[in-house]
Amino acid sequence: MAKQYDVLFRLLLIGDSGVGKTCLLCRFTDNEFHSSHISTIGVDFKMKTIEVDGIKVRIQIWDTAGQERYQTITKQYYRRAQGIFLVYDISSERSYQHIMKWVSDVDEYAPEGVQKILIGNKADEEQKRQVGREQGQQLAKEYGMDFYETSACTNLNIKESFTRLTELVLQAHRKELEGLRTRASNELALAELEEDEGKPEGPANSSKACWC
Amino acid sequence: MQDGASKSCERVTGGGEAAWVGPPITGSWGHLPGHPPGPPTRPSPARAMAAENSKQFWKRSAKLPGSIQPVYGAQHPPLDPRLTKNFIKERSKVNAVPLKNKKASSFHEFARNTSDAWDIGDDEEEDFSSPSFQTLNSKVALATAAQVLENHSKLRVKPERSQSTTSDAPASYKVIKSSSDAQLSRNASDTCLRNPLHKQQSLPLRPIIPLVARISDQNASGAPPMTVREKTRLEKFRQLLSSHNTDLDELRKCSWPGVPREVRPVTWRLLSGYLPANTERRKLTLQRKREEYFGFIEQYYDSRNEEHHQDTYRQIHIDIPRTNPLIPLFQQPLVQEIFERILFIWAIRHPASGYVQGINDLVTPFFVVFLSEYVEEDVENFDVTNLSQDVLRSIEADSFWCMSKLLDGIQDNYTFAQPGIQKKVQALEELVSRIDEQVHNHFRRYEVEYLQFAFRWMNNLLMRELPLRCTIRLWDTYQSEPEGFSHFHLYVCAAFLIKWRKEILEEEDFQLRGFSPSTARRAFNRLIPFHALLPREKPPALVSMGRWNPKAHHTWRQQGARGTCTRVS
Repeated sequence: MAKQYDVLFRLLLIGDSGVGKTCLLCRFTDNEFHSSHISTIGVDFKMKTIEVDGIKVRIQIWDTAGQERYQTITKQYYRRAQGIFLVYDISSERSYQHIMKWVSDVDEYAPEGVQKILIGNKADEEQKRQVGREQGQQLAKEYGMDFYETSACTNLNIKESFTRLTELVLQAHRKELEGLRTRASNELALAELEEDEGKPEGPANSSKACWC
Repeated sequence: MQDGASKSCERVTGGGEAAWVGPPITGSWGHLPGHPPGPPTRPSPARAMAAENSKQFWKRSAKLPGSIQPVYGAQHPPLDPRLTKNFIKERSKVNAVPLKNKKASSFHEFARNTSDAWDIGDDEEEDFSSPSFQTLNSKVALATAAQVLENHSKLRVKPERSQSTTSDAPASYKVIKSSSDAQLSRNASDTCLRNPLHKQQSLPLRPIIPLVARISDQNASGAPPMTVREKTRLEKFRQLLSSHNTDLDELRKCSWPGVPREVRPVTWRLLSGYLPANTERRKLTLQRKREEYFGFIEQYYDSRNEEHHQDTYRQIHIDIPRTNPLIPLFQQPLVQEIFERILFIWAIRHPASGYVQGINDLVTPFFVVFLSEYVEEDVENFDVTNLSQDVLRSIEADSFWCMSKLLDGIQDNYTFAQPGIQKKVQALEELVSRIDEQVHNHFRRYEVEYLQFAFRWMNNLLMRELPLRCTIRLWDTYQSEPEGFSHFHLYVCAAFLIKWRKEILEEEDFQLRGFSPSTARRAFNRLIPFHALLPREKPPALVSMGRWNPKAHHTWRQQGARGTCTRVS
């Protein structure tokens, strides 16, 4: 089996309970949307490969439970992430206010240089809007983040925001990336050889680059 | 299938005193009618020592992961204690020597010998003299099997059943399926939003079988009639329940292999410690507890909108529509209000944990079981406005108290940092590392952490992984075990992992595909023959459960299965 990706990233979705983290993820990975949903317990994840700048990037997206009680568990995943989505719900002022708390958690637990992006989800619920777009923009600017208003329901800005965060992570790891580009073809051949022998040597070899 | 029986028999005698270990699920649920009737519990000295042994159980130094206890499936409730006694005696006699000399741990032996217990044979009618049966090399197994079969045949009503079983079950299964199908497809066409739900990967793909209506009510219209065995069991339950002072030990014993639907509500109330054993006190107790609960409501429920309870109530309110979203019953406003009250009152009365997501799931089995007292069929589509206010209030109060009793035993799962879950996940890892090193090493090699997939198994007691009716059946057993929801649950989780060891070991690129809770759940939903969890429900299907499956066994041997296979010479 030929390698299906060049690099592996871990992205993390955080934000209050019910802002639509799981829906964003389902829309992105499976292009599905479900209005009724089960709550996420602890941490779940999905995988997707996208191509950015000619590089096949396998992204593992960790979806976390928003309830505070789960944070002991979810924080364990912060340090392994290269990119983080901070999600609020535009129809919930409260979830927007809490972004501050989420940011400080990220500062505390995530590795330095982690890429962040702010998401105001449920942009389709215009009648229920409690958080203006400019409020989102302003907050994002304060923290030096990119900002998207998204809707998992109408598929607004989903692909864009996931791709953007992936690009940011790629840029942040440009150095390693250069090395990867020059070595890419050799490693591919090597990986195939190993698989022919049926002796995969473990995860280190199965993904060519994993910065975690 | 006879094979399965004899294999199990051969294994179950281990050393009669240790705490529960790994395989009870495979051993008991994968069973067949040929299995010995007998109580699920160990001999009484065993009970006394269980607590002591369980303390030492986790020590790595123990040579064996623990001894295998007699485990009897739901097919095999205790019928005649004398028979059981003799049977156990006989088995231990036969097995004493070989077991001592075995190098491998009794668990591995057990696992090896029951590894095909879940396979569903292709043939429905394989008779006892088939060649595959004879391929068993063990005389012990043959002798045991013969004994089992003889015992069993005495207890079975042969003439009508033998033929009708095969035709009945698929038929009734179809009936169930089609009615549910209709419901599902109606929903699908009704709303465009519902439709994709079926495909949604993060939701369990529910098998198309009603929740509880058919769990064991063979005398419902269209369902096969009760077997004599089932009637005897029900009679036994009724006797126990109506005696002046219900013998709770005996009731637990009887409930372990599954509680008949007809008596489940009252049995659950007793097992959970909600109802007193004394029949005379029951009515009063119920009345008092129900009043007490509604007293709480009166006193506290209005505070849900107050500042200090706002977070709790908001979270509950968000989660209620997300509780079993595919089951119409739980989408009814009246039902959702009941759930909100139950959860809110519980939460504010337990400030150490408060409401934690997942606890909402834990109300559903109680609610459905107590509701089933008033609903003949199709509970999941039942419109609760058909019930009187009084009835609904009773269901609500009883669900609250029974859920509270359950949570008392696992509250550390939900307190700050969820230490109960952390401990249990660690314990699971430790257990698996000893009973199935290969699987354990495989996880390590591919950096799959137990916490990744097992956190939710502990937090939601596998309710996200199993259909509700299976959870209900599982809780029959949990409630008849001391610390069933904490301690015993761990072994059920381990049994699940080992059940899927082949699929797990075949997965080499976890990074590529991922082994997330969803993956595990999908695997379960796709592969678990759920009826295996409910042996009483469909006897004919069960017949095939423990069936000797030469093909599966062959494959299994081909894979080497840790290099040794003592079963076939």
